[in-house]
Amino acid sequence: MFDLLIKGGTVVDGTGAPGFAGDVAVQDGRIAAVGPAIAGEARRTFDATGRVVAPGFIDPHTHFDVQLLWDGAAKPALEHGITCVVPGNCSLSLAPLKAQDRKSLVGMFQQIEEMPPEAFTQAFEWTWEDFAGYRDAIAKTLQLNVAPLVGHSVIRLWVMGADAQARAARRDEIAAMQDLLRECLEAGAVGLSTSFVPEFYATDITLARVDQLAELSVKHGIPTTFSPLFDSAATPQNVPRVMARVEEQFARGARVWPQMQTRPIDISFSLLRPSLFFARLPRWVRVLRLPLAERLAALKNPAITDKMLEDVGPDGGAAMFGELIVRGGDEAPAHLAGRTLGEIAAERGETPARALIDLSLEHGLDVAFLAASRGHDATDRIGAMLASPFMHIGASDGGAHLASFATYGDTGYLFSEFVRKAGALSLEAAVKKITSDTADIWGLKDRGLLQAGKAADIVVFDADAIGRGAERPQFDMPGDGMRYVRDAVGVEVVVVNGEVAWADGAYTEARAGVVCELA
Amino acid sequence: MTAQVALTAVQAQPVPGLDDAVVEGAEIVAGHDGAAELLVRLRHGNGAQSAMSLDAETAFDLLRAAGAASLDGLVGQPWRDLIKGL
Repeated sequence: MFDLLIKGGTVVDGTGAPGFAGDVAVQDGRIAAVGPAIAGEARRTFDATGRVVAPGFIDPHTHFDVQLLWDGAAKPALEHGITCVVPGNCSLSLAPLKAQDRKSLVGMFQQIEEMPPEAFTQAFEWTWEDFAGYRDAIAKTLQLNVAPLVGHSVIRLWVMGADAQARAARRDEIAAMQDLLRECLEAGAVGLSTSFVPEFYATDITLARVDQLAELSVKHGIPTTFSPLFDSAATPQNVPRVMARVEEQFARGARVWPQMQTRPIDISFSLLRPSLFFARLPRWVRVLRLPLAERLAALKNPAITDKMLEDVGPDGGAAMFGELIVRGGDEAPAHLAGRTLGEIAAERGETPARALIDLSLEHGLDVAFLAASRGHDATDRIGAMLASPFMHIGASDGGAHLASFATYGDTGYLFSEFVRKAGALSLEAAVKKITSDTADIWGLKDRGLLQAGKAADIVVFDADAIGRGAERPQFDMPGDGMRYVRDAVGVEVVVVNGEVAWADGAYTEARAGVVCELA
Repeated sequence: MTAQVALTAVQAQPVPGLDDAVVEGAEIVAGHDGAAELLVRLRHGNGAQSAMSLDAETAFDLLRAAGAASLDGLVGQPWRDLIKGL
């Protein structure tokens, strides 16, 4: 008797081969059989008629290091069909870390992940210093699989202490770091992450990074990856030039995988801080750069705001501000969240520019606005980039930037935008990109394919519906901290190592996730 | 081997005007963290182009250093002079 039988779906097995009508049987956490009309009984059966049955998706760039200590599903990642996440990116992991260094690392995590301080004081108990200890701490309650990286910064911190940020390492310290890295890899880390100064649109510097990584790859016989690679109308040659260099390096035997996210980049701001969003409006810039008390006074002064309103043109800012979305999660009334400033302004009988100022003033300037899809948003260009055999789909940043934007739903967006809408990738190619390709790039053992003997990580979804929900604020971080999330759309069942982890729109009690092994 | 020889030749010859970069354009782009950033495009004295993005604080300082009321005021200004003012 099988543990689980998913019957009658379209099996898209992760190889890129055309989907076929068939069943998937699971036993003892592994895929027991894949094929048409599998005979035999099962303890639990799902009817997948009209649905796609695929390997679980793998997210290679996340910062769930902290969240995994109290949330083994890395919610809402799992409900989007993610069955494996790679935390520890950008040179930051929670181990190895000496007790006396916790405070300084927490500061770095708070800055990057925007996680409330309570996340580090109330939500878990520090029980580890070494990597094996951290691995054991998260392994107890995992609902999805984890392939953790160890961060370069914490390795330096362990060996050099405060000097890690003050000077270059000595030869003996480098040797100690090498020993420590080896220990972390033996304890379950799948690789080392590091970081560079942000340089997302500086193509020449990115090219130099590609060459650096290629040298490491060739010298040590290892795969390397970097993220993120962005497209922009302002720098249309950025991605083509980088990809040309990547292809050159692959041709000489290096493995340097650029990661590209599927979602467009939104710009968000409030009047609490000066934003370059107003850079073409000199009077606005002058006012918004004032100290807070003076800024508030200026925004309440009609003589000043009338001049500001002249800047936005005769349409009252309709073109410039009308499509801005009130984000919520701040001091703005909840019923305004998700609505456009143009709608709100019309209700108030104001121009959008006036409404932006007045609405902000009414709530202590703590009203966040979002300008959607202001970068990396040209679907026709990005579709072809994502489809490149040299492009690694990733860079979600799941678990980071909590108060800035939602980092969830990129896989759903891959299907809704680039498979269904644009036709840039076939369904099978898209599945392959975020399953077996990812497992191969990272060397994850037995992941990413629906084949007998492989780990039973499975997602059942509606190919006509899978997508991402609207961004919304949610107060579920420790200390009632806020983060932006997106709900899953069209994902019906998620199986992790043979256990149903998500079904009927709800999480189960299954805790079958593991720390992944390398092939 | 050919490339190495060519590279050596380039390194041996000073490149006239390499430091004479001027701002060719500036525009707002979406930064990785959801903040608006300033993309500055430079044209160097040898004709080469390059670009970089600046965070809000640096960008506002740059505008101040340039005495520019708007982004258009940056265009044509010598880059080396601008960054001295930061």
